[in-house]
Amino acid sequence: MNTIIKKYNLLVLVIFIVVLPVLLWSRVIISHRALYKEMISIMTILAFFQLLGQFYLNRSNKLVSYHKMGRVVKFHKIIGYLFIGILIFHPFLIVMPRYLEPGMSATDAFISLITTFKTGVVLGIISWVLMILLVLISLLRNRLGMKYRTWRTVHGVLSVVFIVLATWHAINLGRHTDVFMSAFMIVVAGGGIALYLRKLIRDLKEVGGENAKWNVAAPVFGDGRSRECAVASE
Amino acid sequence: MAIDQINGCIGCGICVQACPTDVIRMDEKSGKAVIRYPEDCQICHLCRMNCPVDAITITPEKSILVIVAWG
Repeated sequence: MNTIIKKYNLLVLVIFIVVLPVLLWSRVIISHRALYKEMISIMTILAFFQLLGQFYLNRSNKLVSYHKMGRVVKFHKIIGYLFIGILIFHPFLIVMPRYLEPGMSATDAFISLITTFKTGVVLGIISWVLMILLVLISLLRNRLGMKYRTWRTVHGVLSVVFIVLATWHAINLGRHTDVFMSAFMIVVAGGGIALYLRKLIRDLKEVGGENAKWNVAAPVFGDGRSRECAVASE
Repeated sequence: MAIDQINGCIGCGICVQACPTDVIRMDEKSGKAVIRYPEDCQICHLCRMNCPVDAITITPEKSILVIVAWG
């Protein structure tokens, strides 16, 4: 059973963050739109789903614990840096067709884009800033002087805030987000957030509790035996 | 019909100002541009050329070539 889970859990993840988004995108391919524009769209959609998938590629997902955590973290980092790189540039990619077509210049288009203070755009700008912040606290982890667990909590909570705002932004402004794509995004994001929050609550309960790993003195039971002795004698 | 669809509108309203025949209007509920009077479209492409996010698609079958000045 463990072998089956180990073998297929990543395959299931790939189906959810690559295959299904591509299928949903292909439902809404906009007719008469240039191929390179559609390629930019699918690249952005896939990059966003890879970031949603990051919630399943960490220790809050029990299914990935069948793999070595060092390897999972390595993939988490590679996917994060690569696809956040694409999403950081996506506001510029959106105005790129203005270089190739007559009409408004790309610079004017970009200024119009970032100065339109409507819900979707504002959400996008906040998400973009949060994304930069996430990259910075990941790159500068050792220089921040935080304990690893504190850093992990900050990174996780910031990711949850980012993904909520980014999903809302994608649903509000995405040209390929119809009802099905929106529902799928909400399901994948909601599942990931639920997994993370469960792990976070467990971590917080652990802090200061009798199961805290950094408790020096082992808890002592009523009959004077330590926890380890009590477990060993059972 | 010439103007086909609007996808990914950010609600800047530039297309509404650009359209000489008021084909496009702002939807008060969503705050985005909608095609209100498609039968009035003159296929001038002004809305498409002025959209910062390339949200407007025009049916190619009825499109006329856009003449771009050199220099």
